[in-house]
Amino acid sequence: MGKLEGKVAAITGGTRSIGRAMAEAFLREGASVVVNGRDAVKGAQAIAEMGGGDNIAFYAGDAAKQSTAEGIVDFAVERYGRLDIMCLNSGGVMHTAPVSMMSDEEWALEMDWNLNSVFWGMRKSLQHMLPRGAGRILVTSSVEGKGGKPGLPGYNASKHAVLGLVKSAAKETGTTGVTVNAILPGLIETDIVRDTGPESAKMMGLESYDAMIELFSSESAIKKPNTVEQVAAVAVMLASDAARNFTGCMFPVDGGSLPY
Amino acid sequence: MGELDGRVAVISGGTRGIGRAIAEAYLRDGAKVVVSGRDQAKGEGAIAEMNAGDNAMFVAADSAVREDCERLISATVEKYGRIDILVNNAGGSKDNAPVAQLTDAAMDWALKVNLWSTLWCSRAALQHMIPQQWGRIINISSTEGKVGKPGISIYVTAKHAVNGFTKSLAMEVGTLGITVNALCPGAIETDMMKTDGPPAAESMGITYEALLDWFAQESAIKRLNDVEDVALVASLLASDAGAGITGSLISIDGGSAPY
Repeated sequence: MGKLEGKVAAITGGTRSIGRAMAEAFLREGASVVVNGRDAVKGAQAIAEMGGGDNIAFYAGDAAKQSTAEGIVDFAVERYGRLDIMCLNSGGVMHTAPVSMMSDEEWALEMDWNLNSVFWGMRKSLQHMLPRGAGRILVTSSVEGKGGKPGLPGYNASKHAVLGLVKSAAKETGTTGVTVNAILPGLIETDIVRDTGPESAKMMGLESYDAMIELFSSESAIKKPNTVEQVAAVAVMLASDAARNFTGCMFPVDGGSLPY
Repeated sequence: MGELDGRVAVISGGTRGIGRAIAEAYLRDGAKVVVSGRDQAKGEGAIAEMNAGDNAMFVAADSAVREDCERLISATVEKYGRIDILVNNAGGSKDNAPVAQLTDAAMDWALKVNLWSTLWCSRAALQHMIPQQWGRIINISSTEGKVGKPGISIYVTAKHAVNGFTKSLAMEVGTLGITVNALCPGAIETDMMKTDGPPAAESMGITYEALLDWFAQESAIKRLNDVEDVALVASLLASDAGAGITGSLISIDGGSAPY
């Protein structure tokens, strides 16, 4: 018996990187999983690679848009009958700039992707979960939800903000059977980080992408990046029935970068 | 196949309560487990109840005594050949009083059993973990290691100190394959809580029931935690997947201290 036998999970993002590792771990533990991404071709390929048969489905859409963040909930309920676990996972650094040069448009994009999307998905999930008296909401924040880096103001602000949202929602729902938790990974060399990292490094005033990896690693106790599997293991634990007493938890997976 | 197959774990004060739940979880995950306690008869009874044959051993040891802590580690290595996981679980406080009336002896014992025992056991275990480049040290702290309540300053002080020790040691050994974390549970109605809670509540100027209710009400879940909650995280941290988590002070308190 898996730890998530018979559960239905949805993951914004989820065709690659952290979300993909969560999807694979949830499948191994017996859950049915909906993953999401913008590209239908890549999505079809990802679910074929994961080999979950009828237990995995793809929902196409940009998670930074309200229609997607809410639509994935409806899709999961329609496809599998209900939603037990919502991973509000999609996010990242997009066209960043130092504060003095940040445009309103860039700022709004970061807020939509990392904060508003989480709010939209959380609200919709709670509307489904609260009447059922059960549910798990997991938000992927970041070590940058506690710390700060030059040149990443939108990422830092939005990843901090989702922690406030999680804490408040946890207090609201504490006696309902729904739990709301955040996971705060340190730097992981995911596909997204490889895509956007070179520009982020430049905005942070660093010489190269490698220098950014080195900076994050040097801040940790383990002196190396984290892995998606480490995050997925925490996600499985928090999603399980055994974690019924865990809510409002800011669970770090950062190799000791910010030890609090 | 368990996630801890081949691992050897030591849990100070593991005959009952939180330590016992962790011991049973580690046995389920495939580890060999050594637990300590002061009372030989109770300890042997606990081992018999765990029904793990040669995979579990009791060592009679007082965690407030250095020689006993060191002997706990050496007896483990003698019996099972190694030590991979150390859970510094022994702790508590007695003779709680408001600071104006607090005795030196009460502070001294609280620091010995919570803080010094963590140093003594960790230092002895590191002699084995550093050469093998693998280890997990899990310190059982408390939500009172992050916040504070009146009348139990000795406990609050000792658990805050354990959290500081956790952070520093994590940074020392971070590249050696050894992780060091603190678990910060809310109130759990263990046997020890039932014994030590009423006098602690008296020092706080409230009833035992009011003490439990205080903890429950400041949480999001409005109830106390369970020993299994702590064992759940202790299992994750001890596993290979726990390699990326170190220096963390993990709240297991139903949302009381959401940070």
